Formats: sequence, structure tokens, C-alpha cells
Amino acid sequence: MMAGLLVARGQSPAPPSIKVVNLIPASLSGESNQDSEPFLAIQNQNPQVMVASAFTPNPFSMTGNAPVYVSQDGGTTWVLNAITPVQRMTCDITHAMATGENHPRGDLHAGTLACATGITLDESESNDVSLTTTMNVQSTRGNVDQPFVRALGVASGDRIYVGVNDFNQASGRTATIDVSVDGGATYKSIPIETRKTAGQDGPSVRPAVANDGTVYAAFFGWRKFNGKTATSDIVVVRDDAAATGANPFQVLKDPSDKLPGAIVVKNAQIPWSNAAALGQERIGSTLSIAVDPNHSGTVYVSWADKGSKGDIYTLHVRSSTDRGVTWSKTDLPRTTIHNATNVALAVANNGVVGFLYQQLAGGRWVTHLVQSHDGFMTSRDFVLATVPANQPVGQFLPYLGDYDYLLSVGNEFRGVFCANNTPDFANFPQGVTYQRAADFRAKTLNDASGNPVPISIDPFYFSVPVIP
Amino acid sequence: MKTSSKFLKVILGGATLWLALCGCTKAAVPQASDKVALASKSSIIFSGTVSQLAATSFADVPKSPQTIVVKVDSVAKKPAAVSLKKGDSVTVEVKDASAFQEGTHATFYTDGWIFGSGVAVKELGHELGAAAEPAPMTTAAKPSGQGKDEISDQELLERMKTSDFVVVGRVTDVRKWNVPKPKSGAPSRVTEHDPDWHEAVVEVQSVLKGGKVKGNKVIVRFPNRNDVAWVSSPKFAKNQRGIFCLNRDQSTGAPASAGGQQANVYTCLGHGDALPISEEGRVRALLKNP
Repeated sequence: MMAGLLVARGQSPAPPSIKVVNLIPASLSGESNQDSEPFLAIQNQNPQVMVASAFTPNPFSMTGNAPVYVSQDGGTTWVLNAITPVQRMTCDITHAMATGENHPRGDLHAGTLACATGITLDESESNDVSLTTTMNVQSTRGNVDQPFVRALGVASGDRIYVGVNDFNQASGRTATIDVSVDGGATYKSIPIETRKTAGQDGPSVRPAVANDGTVYAAFFGWRKFNGKTATSDIVVVRDDAAATGANPFQVLKDPSDKLPGAIVVKNAQIPWSNAAALGQERIGSTLSIAVDPNHSGTVYVSWADKGSKGDIYTLHVRSSTDRGVTWSKTDLPRTTIHNATNVALAVANNGVVGFLYQQLAGGRWVTHLVQSHDGFMTSRDFVLATVPANQPVGQFLPYLGDYDYLLSVGNEFRGVFCANNTPDFANFPQGVTYQRAADFRAKTLNDASGNPVPISIDPFYFSVPVIP
Repeated sequence: MKTSSKFLKVILGGATLWLALCGCTKAAVPQASDKVALASKSSIIFSGTVSQLAATSFADVPKSPQTIVVKVDSVAKKPAAVSLKKGDSVTVEVKDASAFQEGTHATFYTDGWIFGSGVAVKELGHELGAAAEPAPMTTAAKPSGQGKDEISDQELLERMKTSDFVVVGRVTDVRKWNVPKPKSGAPSRVTEHDPDWHEAVVEVQSVLKGGKVKGNKVIVRFPNRNDVAWVSSPKFAKNQRGIFCLNRDQSTGAPASAGGQQANVYTCLGHGDALPISEEGRVRALLKNP
């Protein structure tokens, strides 16, 4: 009543508050899957519409389509909609929603891996995620890893950039961007590694797109690999014409060898473990890049490598303000984070950087969103979740995910992370809303019929106001 | 997935109920076997009363002339993950809306559709009239994890149809198996989805599908990695007995040889491809009466 009165008098609406929402719908309260490795897409022209994903199986069929979560009310409620082209459950999925084709609930562009007998990449789209039509597969091939999708809508259509580790590339130069400038009708695979590798590059190949069409991509240029450690360059490439030219991603050359790809850090020691190494999580390839959407010369990159003694995995953030030509020589202040993974960076319209990560500290997984408007000289840390790290016992790897995700829209940072789903307000310092049946007094889950449900890993959506 | 046995008995009892099968809305009385097949195909079966026509029970479901809202009287079958109980309102996308009026009682054979604040399903068939007396079903808190769901008869049958062999056997040995390096000299790939191939030697005790197995032994390659890509793939242990759905190895990219000799090399990768020996009766019955 009071809020309505204030708005009626012409005052601006209250600033958005922090929102943390468990994505599991009420009608799936009986589930106890390990719904790890979350991702998020926002329809920027209609930001009430979002799509999230995780390793969530089709809830009713072993042969039905793998689902995504869809919200049409800004993240307050979510439904599970089985529309991906993959049977039952993906083994990698990322996506982005572009706005070039005037579909208010689209266009969702997804990169999915199906892992039934081999591993197959599908690049697919949906024009309307509120429908239950299976996404249209536009491109498919095998022998690739970890698709990572970004998209930009322009008047002529959607431009799509999919980072993949493509084992089909010659000479072990596997870091690749699949580019489509026609809404996915055609894709071209562009190798972005120009140096000799240890037989391949690291799994993570991450594109980032600015509003002016500048496209960056970061990757791990593996120079040596001994089974436990990858000696890796952190490499950034850039294209100034939306990768539409004859030789995309060639403009940024490193002064050391004049080859395309600026070397942010040379010979980083990246630990590689396909078994639990950081708590119950595996490690080896966390990487993120973000560009200021309105000032494409400002770009940030973050990765994890072998920490100092006693640390397993250490995050770093570096920046460039000259379009990736030169990079900060040391980590930005207070961005060297020990025993942490799942880094995701984003830059808001006002230039504030968001730094999402998950840190193993004191036997708990703590999910942080740090914001800074001055390159981390000063910053504000929002702890979104702090949950026991030893429960539940993992069903498979990755435990929380090989990534989580962060985006900016308007004056909000929005993102997704995964965590132990015990309904305990003490675990969620900013508050939390569950759609699924949960008893916060007893700190237990149930199936809405009174039967107990064991705790598991769930995906959580969050929205945090961008600091001024 | 759990189905009330009492409910299946009612189906097999041959009650003269009308069904809309395969889009045949003016359905004839189906054979009992049709009812069983329909029940087997359905992931969610419930009885209820139509409360609204051309309506939906929650906002995120696209409303159409084919969507009706049904108030649930009883639930006969549903996945453990799905919350559905007496008194809930369910959206059903029906095949022929003219078959229903407000107040119509029916049993709905359905597949899942949209899961939000409520449940929306798609009709596979229905029986008009009073509920088919499904017994109350316990929505046990059994984990419905990615690799743990029971495989339905329908899914198992389809899986066996695409198998080269279905055998009863015992695992006599399990060993790590390294994919031979290709002659091209191409390097091995390092990925988070590395399967970590292992081989299980299976002594075949009987062949339920497929021809004679040479030497009564087969080698089954399986991913031992606990990665998401392989979470549904069976893992093998020495002395394990079971029923195995096998396909010739086309996944590892390696020749069908062991110890330098040609061998019967298969894979067993899908959910439900390795069943406990206690399932032998079910498997034989399905193969006999598909």
C-alpha cells in the first residue's frame, strides 16, 4: 500500500533488492539429482524472459529431451521445459539470447553436447522458449569439447560466437570459435590458436562481445602437459568487425613473437584433475573474459592456476584498457583468491565489474559476487551462499560445475550458481526463495506430500543491484 | 518410476472402459494388451475430474482449445521426482477436447510436458468413467538421480531391440584398457569427459538375443570415469552377474582386438544396459511378448 502510494506521487520505484531463487519448480519437489554446472541467458530487450540450464535430466523419460529452465517474470518463478535437442540430459550446455530477429521470447542459441555413445555438439535455436517445440539443430559435429555460446543481436540478424575445443583442427591448435553471422543458418569454425601446442589447448574457450561488434576470446594455450599440470599461456584474441572479415581474430598480436593472440600470462601452471581435488570438485580449466559493453577497449580476464604452497587452485583477475594490447602485470587488488574456482566476470553498463566465484573455505563452499567500479581498488563483496562442502556426496563430476555464470542487464547483475540445497537461511546470507517444497524450520526438503527428500545440488538464480 | 500393481491388475481385468488410443478418439474397447502397452508408455497416470475446458492450471502453460484442467482424484503412476497428489489441478493437453465436459471423470494416461508451480501433461490415452481404482501410491523419497532411475518396460524393450546381443553372464575380470595410439600419430585427447576405458570379460551363460558367442566369452568396454558424460553408463565389477545389452564397439575408435587377436568386443553404454540377474524373468518375458 505504502509503496504504491509513493510510486503514485511520482517517486522512482524502490531500487531492486537482492534476489536468490532455487530453480527447482514446486512440481519437481521430489527430485534429488545433482543439478550442477549452471548457465544463464537473458533476453536483453525483454529481460523478464530468461533461460537457465544445469545437468538436469528429463524428469519423466529416459528418452525424452533434456530440459532447460524458463522464467518469464524476471527470475521469480521458473518452469522446466524439455526443448533441447539432446536426449535426457546434456553433458555440456551453454546458451545466449540474441535480439536481432524480433522474437520477444527468443532467440535462444544453444551449444549442447550429447554423450550417448560418443560426444556430439549441436548448435541449435529456439524462437520462442515459452513453447515446447524442440530446438532446431542448425549445425552438428563430433570430436569437440565444452561449447560456450555468446550472441549479439543486430539489425541484420543474430551473430553467434561459440567457443569450442575442437579436436578436428590441424596440428593440435584446438582453440576455436564457431561463428555465425546469419542467426545460425551457417557456421564457420575459426581456429584462434596460432602457436605450437602440447597436442591441444585447454577445454575452456571463452568469447565476449561488446555492443560495437568487438569480439574477444580467451583460451588456455597449452604448451606442455604431463597429465597432472598444463603449462599454459593465457591468451586473448580480438576481432574488430564482429568476425565477419576474411581473417578474423588476427588483430591482436603479441610483441614477443608477433603472432596473433596477446599473451596475458606466459607459462602458467594449471593443475589438471579429473578426480575430486578441491573439496569434491575437479579442477583444470576455469576461465572467464568480460568486456565493457559500451567501452570495448576495457576488458577483464580471470583464470585459476596452481596456487602457492597450501593452495590448490588460485584465481587471478587482470585487465586491459587498450583493447587487449597490454595487460596489468599483476593481479588487480584483492583478486588473488585462494582455493577457488568457477570464475565468471561481467561488466555493467556503468563500467562496474562483477566477479563471481566459489571458494572452498572452512569446509564450506562460499559463493561470492564482488563488485568494483575502480578496478578493484575498492570493492563490495556479496556472499550469496555458504554451504557445507562435504554434503551431499557427489553423484558424478563436476560436483558444482566446471563453470557458473554472470551477466549484466540494466542496473542488475544476474547469474546462476550451484550449491547444496539444504533449506537453511543461514546458508544464504542475502535471503533465498525456494519454489520446491522445503521446511526452513526443520531444514528439510519434502516431496509436497510429506515424504522426506534427501538434499542434493541445485541451481540457484540471483539478481544483485549494480553498485553506483 | 513406480506403478501400482493393483492398478495394473485392474487394467488386465478387462474393464470395459473407453480409450482414446493413437488419436482414435472414437475408440473401440481395447484389448487388455493395448491397455498394458498404453500404461507402459505413460509416465504419469492419474484419475480425476475435468474442472475447466480450454484452460490451464498455471500461467506458464500455453492455453489452447486442447488444454483442459483436471482435478486429481488419485495417482497410479508417476516418477518419484514429480509432485502430484489428490486434490492437485493438472493441465492436460488432450487429443480431442470434444470428448470432455466439465465434470467428466476419467483416467488419463499421459507423458510429462511442463513442470512449474504445477504439472502439465500430454494425453496418450484416457478411460472415461470412474477411476480405475488405482491403489494409493507412495511417492517414496527414493533418489531419482541421473543414473538411478528404473528403466521402464517400454524403454528396456526399445533398448533391447537396438542391441546386437542380450546375454546373461558373469564378469570374470575387469582391467584398464588404453586406447591404442592411432597410426597417424595424432595425440590423445585430454578432456573432462575422458571415459577412462576399462574392459570387463564376461562369461556368457545364455544368449537371449543374437547368435552364438564364440568361446562363450565377450569383452565389454565401458567408461569407468565418474564424469557427467558417462554417469548413466554401467560400471562393471568382478563376479558381477547380470543381463547385458551389448553393441559392437563403435565408440572407442579402437580395433576389436585383445592381446593382438580378434575378439568379441562390445560396449554396454546406456542406462539400463546392465541389469541385475533378478531382472532375468522380466527380460525374458519382454523378449517373448514384445
